[in-house]
Amino acid sequence: MRTETFFTIEMPYCERMETRRTIFSGGNGPRVAVVAGVHGDELEGLYVCHRLAAWLEEMLRSSPHGLRGSIELYPAVNTLGLDTLTRGLPVFDTDLNRAFPGSDSGPLPARLAAALMKALSGSALVVDIHASNIYLREIPQVRINQEFDDLLVPVARHMNLDLIWLHSAATVLETTVAHSLNSSGTPCLVVEMGVGMRITPEYCDQLVAGMLAVWKEMGVLAPDISVPEISHTPLIADDSNVHYLNAQTSGMFIPAASHWTDVHRGELLGTIVSPFRGDTLSEVRSPVDGILFSLREYPLVYEGSLMARVMSHKGVRA
Amino acid sequence: MIRDLLCMTAPVREGFDIPCHEIGPKSSHPAAALVAGLHGDEINGIFILSRLADFLNSVEAGKYPELRLVRRVLIIPAVNVLGVNLRTRTWPFDKTDINRMFPGSTTGETTQRIAYALLESTKRAEYRIDIHTASTDFEEIPQVRLHGPSDTERETARMFGLPAIMERSLSPVFTTTLMASWKVWPGESFVLRVGQAGIVQLDHCQRVFRSMVQFLGRVGVLEGVQIAAEDEEVCFFNKASAFRVLAEKAGTFVSDSHVGRWVRAGQELGYIYDSFGGKVIEKVVAPVAGLLTGIRRHPLLFEGDLILRVNRKS
Repeated sequence: MRTETFFTIEMPYCERMETRRTIFSGGNGPRVAVVAGVHGDELEGLYVCHRLAAWLEEMLRSSPHGLRGSIELYPAVNTLGLDTLTRGLPVFDTDLNRAFPGSDSGPLPARLAAALMKALSGSALVVDIHASNIYLREIPQVRINQEFDDLLVPVARHMNLDLIWLHSAATVLETTVAHSLNSSGTPCLVVEMGVGMRITPEYCDQLVAGMLAVWKEMGVLAPDISVPEISHTPLIADDSNVHYLNAQTSGMFIPAASHWTDVHRGELLGTIVSPFRGDTLSEVRSPVDGILFSLREYPLVYEGSLMARVMSHKGVRA
Repeated sequence: MIRDLLCMTAPVREGFDIPCHEIGPKSSHPAAALVAGLHGDEINGIFILSRLADFLNSVEAGKYPELRLVRRVLIIPAVNVLGVNLRTRTWPFDKTDINRMFPGSTTGETTQRIAYALLESTKRAEYRIDIHTASTDFEEIPQVRLHGPSDTERETARMFGLPAIMERSLSPVFTTTLMASWKVWPGESFVLRVGQAGIVQLDHCQRVFRSMVQFLGRVGVLEGVQIAAEDEEVCFFNKASAFRVLAEKAGTFVSDSHVGRWVRAGQELGYIYDSFGGKVIEKVVAPVAGLLTGIRRHPLLFEGDLILRVNRKS
């Protein structure tokens, strides 16, 4: 196991920005990678990397030959953002995940993107972990562009997640790390889970178990290594069964239902109230029978703010 | 006439709206729709359009007897109203870029609703103009930006009489911008880029104000405008004519060069100092002979930052 710098750039006054990765090298088996912290306010993936490192270090102590391939962890891609509580890249005021594939020359966002692309390209599987944002809590899920679903869905089914959300190509952003990797032949799964600026340990352990199982299946880990049990089977969502609940008025959203529970058509999911008065401004009710898979975490809403997503049952389990 | 493009509520303060000017004869849609302040820190455009609204209202009031506004003009000086007041580029609540929310929707996020209302009110205009600046770090020569233009738009772009017309291809990065949404509709669309964000640059603003008046005169919206002989040549630049200088080293960049000047190849345009040690570590020179169309204004340089751009005359 070694931690090394894979990207560095000179800053205006004395300092250099350095971005690091940790590599666990075994034999000549497949190389896989985990990416996290592309957005500086998303911390779930950082903890996933820690848990993976802890599991791998322990496993290698007891079974020194348990690793057949290599595992690369990129836990903190947006180093400056993470260290300064900023979602985007500080100074450049850009979303790093809109800067791919980047270029070797040019400003920091382009160079960092290009360095990450170069580092990841050729991996057998990359998992890019996102933690929603500070507004919404998400159930552990993988989001897949339908352009690449043949390759990615079979892998995603075994990742111990609760949901696979297929997106039509028209709604996909082309400048993300995942799109750039998938377009250039390196399979990349985007995991969304939890909420910004927080860590949800049970979600992190759930994903760790899923990745270890997939890596064992791929031959990154030796067949005799025992990995945690898989306990989740994903539901499938797409444009046809996902319903968005946007606020009809501004105020404070107070949830009445719990995240990731079955809800019925017309059931009260929450209310919007005002701190200036005692009545209810707006009721939020489920449009369908289904499951509440996204729920607002940050209470203040504007007209139009997303409060929840409900997935209607198609009776389909992956 | 002042009208609200959109009225919305807010969590605890009172509601907010996006006001616009509608000036000239009534009509089902404006002949020209002029937009600025999609980014709240791009003040040059907001200043230009508020001044233009005042001027056209004065024309309507008869203060310029030789001029007559014969077609309707819609002017929205600032779309990101709260962003202007709070000095932020993006929508202050969720930090989204309104110019990445088009075509928008009536039921989606706040910024999508703003985008939808803006597009609805402007898309049927024959001439649509969206005024921007560069960032707070960089200054651009007042220019017309064309993104995948039609031949007609290339010709019409000359009517602004601005010193530079820059043509770019329509990259996927721009598919959710106002410009990309406008292009779906008949009519002509232009982006003007004027100076840098965060300040009012009076020279640039006066120049673009005059060019907007000339434009409205030439396309027949405002009658009686004395069409000025072009005081300088309008240059058409494609991407291949642009030569950029990137910072080979980090440090403090200082320069007294001005955009809009013709420079010689090798001409010294600024210096990079070691920010700690104080020594000059690099002389920044023009990479080719041409027009200095953009230069960095924030002194602190990361390695790789864009310092300046010179466009070679084709």
